[in-house]
Amino acid sequence: MTDSGHGNLLSVTDLRTYFETEDGTVKAVDGISFELKQGETLGIVGESGSGKSVANLSLMRLIPNPPGKIVSGSIVFAGRDVLKLSPREVRKLRGKRIAMIFQDPMTSLNPFMRVSKQLMEVTRLHLGHTKKQAREHAIKMLEHVGIPDARSRVDSYPHEFSGGMRQRVMIAMALSCRPELLIADEPTTALDVTIQAQILELINSLKAETGASVILITHDLGVVAGMTDHIIVMYAGKVFEQATTTELFERPGNPYTCGLLRSVPDPTDEQGKLYQIPGLPPDLAHLPPGCPFAPRCERAEEICRREFPPYVQLTREHYSLCHFASDVYTKSQAQEGNR
Amino acid sequence: MNAQSLDGAQSQVPPPIAGEAPLIRIKDLKVYFDLGVRREIDQDRRGLGIGVSIIGSFVGRFIIVWLAVVLDVYPVNIWARILFSVIAFGIAFLISSAFALLILGQRIRRVVKAVDGVSLDIRRGETLGLVGESGCGKTTLGRAVLRLTEPTSGQIFFRGTDLAQLSNSVMREQRRHLQIIFQDPYASLNPRMTVSQIIGEPLETFHLARGLAKKKRVQELMEMVGLSARFLKRYPHEFSGGQRQRIGIARALAVDPAFIVADEPISALDVSIQAQIMNLLDRLRRQKNLTYLFISHDLRAIQHVSDRVAVMYLGKIVELADGKSISQNPLMPYTKALISAVPVPDPKIEAKRRRIVLEGDVPSPINTPRGCRFHTRCPYAVEVCSEIEPQLVQIKPNHFAACIRISPAEPDIDRVAPGAAPGLRDHPASARA
Repeated sequence: MTDSGHGNLLSVTDLRTYFETEDGTVKAVDGISFELKQGETLGIVGESGSGKSVANLSLMRLIPNPPGKIVSGSIVFAGRDVLKLSPREVRKLRGKRIAMIFQDPMTSLNPFMRVSKQLMEVTRLHLGHTKKQAREHAIKMLEHVGIPDARSRVDSYPHEFSGGMRQRVMIAMALSCRPELLIADEPTTALDVTIQAQILELINSLKAETGASVILITHDLGVVAGMTDHIIVMYAGKVFEQATTTELFERPGNPYTCGLLRSVPDPTDEQGKLYQIPGLPPDLAHLPPGCPFAPRCERAEEICRREFPPYVQLTREHYSLCHFASDVYTKSQAQEGNR
Repeated sequence: MNAQSLDGAQSQVPPPIAGEAPLIRIKDLKVYFDLGVRREIDQDRRGLGIGVSIIGSFVGRFIIVWLAVVLDVYPVNIWARILFSVIAFGIAFLISSAFALLILGQRIRRVVKAVDGVSLDIRRGETLGLVGESGCGKTTLGRAVLRLTEPTSGQIFFRGTDLAQLSNSVMREQRRHLQIIFQDPYASLNPRMTVSQIIGEPLETFHLARGLAKKKRVQELMEMVGLSARFLKRYPHEFSGGQRQRIGIARALAVDPAFIVADEPISALDVSIQAQIMNLLDRLRRQKNLTYLFISHDLRAIQHVSDRVAVMYLGKIVELADGKSISQNPLMPYTKALISAVPVPDPKIEAKRRRIVLEGDVPSPINTPRGCRFHTRCPYAVEVCSEIEPQLVQIKPNHFAACIRISPAEPDIDRVAPGAAPGLRDHPASARA
């Protein structure tokens, strides 16, 4: 389904990242494929351990080896396969053309270094700025992400900023070199809702301004609903469903996605029993032979426990990994009609 | 806040359901953390302070060098003289700046007002949700109710006795009826104890069961929270987050409590597991007639589980109503902003809706803003907001809010005339600063 090129900034084909552990091989990412066009936002949704973070560390070639290894696949970024580049070339890519924001800004900023120095490091390395240029650029970036009084605060240490402000610093650093691709790994999970709203607005407005593509990784379906064009739902290292955002929320074609959508409390709904997906996420080192979701799935039948499900194409841009994908899809279409 | 306005606040505490006293009644609870005294020269006199230090150090250096000459210890070598002089200057500077701080500085006691005058009734059998941003004092309030953090002042009535007055040993007895579930299920379980030891420990502490009876009870509890009895001999690290939270719940339930503080019980869990734990807590409440104080920053979860929701901001309750009213018809501007910031898992709603994005962060609880604590970030703030501290007033039946810009006659802040503060009439004149 992937043909590289054709206006795609990034196309990932059949990416597999495995970890060798004492328990056996953990298939953290097991054959995911997706494309990302210029200026688009892709959401990757999944619970912890679903492989969403590993997938994105793989994109940046940041998988610690050993124990991790990208076993197969290709990651074509702007026409070149990232997996075939030399470490030197990858380093040039990282931070300059592909930038990343992590969940916890306190652990990703150096606590012993002034913010100014950390921000200047990036542009001096990648854009060849002089010390003075880099400093001016750092101040400009901090102003840009809405840090009040940036000129006097640029020389502060990370601990002198609040959580939301630190995340702004991270965003300023990530955007310093005007990257073409911004990967945001749970950027708002550690923040309060009011601060989350600020950060999401900020990412949106900066995206509109620079035309960058964004990959937004989160476990919060609410966050992706308002931010993304396409969504990938991951479970046990596999892409379970892939669709445009409206399509996924209105006509989900996979029982896992349906379950996730139903288990979020709806403020307009009456109280009562909340839908729950039974059981626990599977152990990635010991996956069942059939569908990894089968033990928790209410739709599961004999075949699900025996055979691995096919990747069914439902519409042009809607895929679902399920034996009964079209059934589920028809049912949610009918439900949507009722609403 | 002075005494008179406190009385005013107390009279406005929601009345209990007819004929039944609340299980827990919190009256004007305050929890302050004293960070100690620090001497500081205030902004206006800082220049004077620096001047005194510099002049002092010149004078001091002169005196030291003069003393050295008189006492005949002044070095002969020119470089040694310069070095001596520099050291003398340094010493003199330290002495004179300490002196300047002593005469010009003021003693400033820095106190964090984590909970600052909360009055609240928790009814028998209800789930009271407590929501707010991090640092607003919601966890401190929860802990203070169980006296895990000692309250500075105020009363906590439980079945007619004031918990705040009890001695430590009597309080420990009372904790049989008052339990807590923590946010991080891993940090709150002893990694060296097996599950059966963890759940059985409170049974022994309170002499409730021993030997075979204890074993039976532990199995019963594990079944109740949906854990297989096979797991009895396992250690906490062998469980997933959701299962660990179940162990924590089983331990809290072991002593048959009447009241449980659930402090962010689902925040560390995955979405699909959050629903499981919420359902479990709800089922247990019905089965065992429990009362919960459910603390969370997740508004969606809190609306779902709670009968009533209290919104907290910088140590104070700013709005209190049933879950539905809070989510669909919030009155106080802070609650409005909070509700509007919650992302909804529906792209259609997300595309249409207007978010109220608040400026800035929560102010430091060390120097809380004067007047309404929210006025520094409030889009509706008028000048009086920085002068008068609003009280929790009943705006609609069973819907309380602390905002002077609304009143029972004009509950919708968007329709109130610009600059008007109709709620001002309800405030005693003494509350004016």
